[in-house]
Amino acid sequence: MIILTIPEFIGRFHPILVHLPIGILLLGCLFQLLTLNAKFVFLKPAIPMICLLGALAAIFSCASGYLLSASGDYDGNLVDLHFWMGISVSVISLLLYLMYWKAVKEIFLNVTSAALIILITLTGHYGGSLTHGSDYMTAALKGEASKVAIPPVPDVQKAIAYTHLVQPLLQNRCYSCHGSEKQKGKLRMDNISFMLKGGEDGASLIPGRANESDLIKRMLLPISNDDHMPPKEKPQLTAEEIAMLQWWINEGATADKKVSDLKQPAEIKPILLSFQTGAVLAKKTVAADIPEEEVEKADAAAIEKLKKVGVVVIPVLSNSNYLSASFVTAKADPAVLKLLEALNKQLIWLNLASASITDQTMGNIVKLQNLRKINLSHTAITDQGLTLLKDLKKLQVINLVGSKVTALGIIAPLTGLKELQHLYLYQTGVEQKDQAKLKAAFKKVSLDFGNYTLPFLAQDTTVVK
Amino acid sequence: MTRDELNAYRLVKEANEIQAAAYTRRHFLKESAMGLGALAMGALFGSCNFGGTKGNNPVLYDAAHPLLPKSPPFLGKAKSVIYLHMAGAPSQLELFDFKPELMKMNGQDCPPSLLAGKKFAFITGVPKMLGPQANFAQHGQSRAWVSDNMPHFSTMTDDVSFLKAVSTDQFNHAPAQLLMHTGSARLGRPSIGSWVTYGLGTENQNLPGFVVLTSGGSFPDAGKSIWGSGFLPSVYQGVQCRSEGDPVLFIKDPHGMSRDLRKASIDAINASNLEEYATYNDPEIQSRVAQYEMAYRMQISAPEVMNINNEPQYIHDMYGTQPGKACFANNVLLARKLVEKGVRFVQLFDWGWDAHGDGPANSLNIGLKNKCRSTDKPITALLLDLKQRGMLEDTLVVWGGEFGRTPMMENRNGIQNPYNGRDHHTEAFTMWMAGGGIKKGYTHGETDEIGYSAVSGKVDAFDIQATILNQLGFDHEQFTFPFQGRPFRLTDVAGKVIRDIVA
Repeated sequence: MIILTIPEFIGRFHPILVHLPIGILLLGCLFQLLTLNAKFVFLKPAIPMICLLGALAAIFSCASGYLLSASGDYDGNLVDLHFWMGISVSVISLLLYLMYWKAVKEIFLNVTSAALIILITLTGHYGGSLTHGSDYMTAALKGEASKVAIPPVPDVQKAIAYTHLVQPLLQNRCYSCHGSEKQKGKLRMDNISFMLKGGEDGASLIPGRANESDLIKRMLLPISNDDHMPPKEKPQLTAEEIAMLQWWINEGATADKKVSDLKQPAEIKPILLSFQTGAVLAKKTVAADIPEEEVEKADAAAIEKLKKVGVVVIPVLSNSNYLSASFVTAKADPAVLKLLEALNKQLIWLNLASASITDQTMGNIVKLQNLRKINLSHTAITDQGLTLLKDLKKLQVINLVGSKVTALGIIAPLTGLKELQHLYLYQTGVEQKDQAKLKAAFKKVSLDFGNYTLPFLAQDTTVVK
Repeated sequence: MTRDELNAYRLVKEANEIQAAAYTRRHFLKESAMGLGALAMGALFGSCNFGGTKGNNPVLYDAAHPLLPKSPPFLGKAKSVIYLHMAGAPSQLELFDFKPELMKMNGQDCPPSLLAGKKFAFITGVPKMLGPQANFAQHGQSRAWVSDNMPHFSTMTDDVSFLKAVSTDQFNHAPAQLLMHTGSARLGRPSIGSWVTYGLGTENQNLPGFVVLTSGGSFPDAGKSIWGSGFLPSVYQGVQCRSEGDPVLFIKDPHGMSRDLRKASIDAINASNLEEYATYNDPEIQSRVAQYEMAYRMQISAPEVMNINNEPQYIHDMYGTQPGKACFANNVLLARKLVEKGVRFVQLFDWGWDAHGDGPANSLNIGLKNKCRSTDKPITALLLDLKQRGMLEDTLVVWGGEFGRTPMMENRNGIQNPYNGRDHHTEAFTMWMAGGGIKKGYTHGETDEIGYSAVSGKVDAFDIQATILNQLGFDHEQFTFPFQGRPFRLTDVAGKVIRDIVA
């Protein structure tokens, strides 16, 4: 809980108050410069009043700014600069007001006004830099570099833990408030020694004891907690990033040791690997649920005909042209199956569970080249019909539960399907002794033979009294 | 033009001119201020997307075919949801959240730091701490802790993701249940099943899209509102079904009423309703028509799908069903059958988990154990059965209560309860999810050493709702319905998808 003293409280209004003198004085100066054109001379009488109001607002802003700077969370040099420039603005604007009463030459008024505009702009800019960080304006120009907190390293084991992993992370997530320019809570984090020294709440880093280090403790607090860091509106660290920091601290928070020189418990290894270039690529090779390439819209008339006979045909996601079809309330008559052919490019999921498809009518679906998932469970399909699946090279999931297929009939056509991931074979003609054979034939496929049973336990049926 | 006509014309013209002269420029400005203001208002609010006809979250309601299947905006892993709600709030400390430290404190006075500033439903004064009333062991490759209250489920730890630090802000059953299912502790919001059927429709037009099954001898405390449709069209409310007897009450044609006569009377009622609709344009009338038609179709298909007796004996053995009784096991088997036939959302409520310790049925050592015994096998069987049928991939199973239970023993009105029991606890409890694109063998979140509050991975009802919607292919922040002048969301202004448990 932060308890504010009254001056500190007033100080916090500074960022709001400053907009008054900025707006009022800029208007005054603008009017003055406009009077260069004879058309605008009528503005003249308003200018002194505007300058006086602006000067008063500037004085109040200076006072509140001084109170805010006293909290000491800011970079000293920048604060000093902003402070004196703020005072100059007040003085010059007051001067400008007096110049109107002394009726000095028009040229002096114009020069002073122009100078004041420049001074206000600069003062405002430095003030903004104090609040948002000096790279606030340029960050947008630098692109999205800040999205990734840790730039991927080519070989994580050869990387220096602090320089290549920890420092970039802290730089992107912490330095803007706890760096060379601003030290919120009197804490600086741009160097290990600063972190050891800590801020108002003591050391933020205790080497060897990650979970006692303020750095980690605050990251692990619920995001709604006021003490949580980074503040909730700022980008947060991922679980992997926090785990990496914990590991680095537990391993002594060293400055120059390579990752390979530090002890690596089993659970940290995959996390470290994820910071390496190529880790992201490895994930992507897993076949996607839907094709990445675009496809043209399917024939609307064919879809309409299928819908009429009760087949559910909808896009797999709205604004995709890829389709799924389900026969949950429709009969798989040959004529209906024939209609699917018109959708052969778009149809990727087909559910024929309990539909009346047979070996004879299977011929109608072999043209569906893009099929990824097919459900033939509880159908009369046998090995003969299954051979027709061999050309559907994109198939990832095949459900044959409750059909008559056998081990031999499965191996021949389906081993050629390179994308296959799941094969469901519960209650098929596959016998117990064939299971090993199938497992050997489908090394990369998850096979589910089902037939799970649960033991009868006495406590299932008895009641505790 | 005769003289009279000319005079009349002049008279009218003169009157018009006098009237026009009364409109001064001042008058024009004064009057048009309101009009211009109204125009500006219209433009401003237009961007708020009233009626949802613009932008990316259109109203998905087609009154004539309200339940037709629709595509999700994103690629969802799950197609259906089976939500198992243990009404009354099961004790996480006797099931999944093993706290050896709490055992050491058993019988000691509760430290004042745990009581200061806290409110409990029943605990008053200083209660005693109560150690775990079950034996725990680690199971599976994931090494997840499960107590001996759930011997069957303990074999499934490598298939589920545990949420160990779920929290809520409601410590009474009804509001907490409402919050869990409708996103608000107050009445009037649509339940999550209604939102899902509104957004996705349902594959099987002969069955309801959102089915509710209850067991345990009583309705959940929040009543039917937790499967209500709130401000969504009423066709999306949960349809309560039964696993025994007629699946839906009055589904059979009454004696002497033939099928044709039934059809003819429904047609007549619908024709009259549609006339009413033509006059008043109230979409609820169309809802009513659609419901009559669905009821008629259900008469044919529901008795067959909803009859668990046509399942083979080994399936009954696996689920531990009790033929002829209304029980949780029967409901679970029915849920699997319904999802198999394309039902979108099946909501199960099992009542009786409120282990306060005020009586044997509400105690941790008797009542809770019996509740576990009646649910452990069916739930395990459900997961295994979905798995072997290839359905677990696209069916999301959610298990949980409305809140958790205190590490302290309940002392109602300051007097120790006669049996071991725990009070309602909002700060941390356990839920789990499985299938439908959820990580297998994973645990998210952690509680402190006595299970009092979350240490990491804290989530709440909104996060769970956001995650369920995410698995079905919705961005919970975009999935809205216009009501009372603003777009409403299930998660209102909160909720974050629990990315850590998404595979």
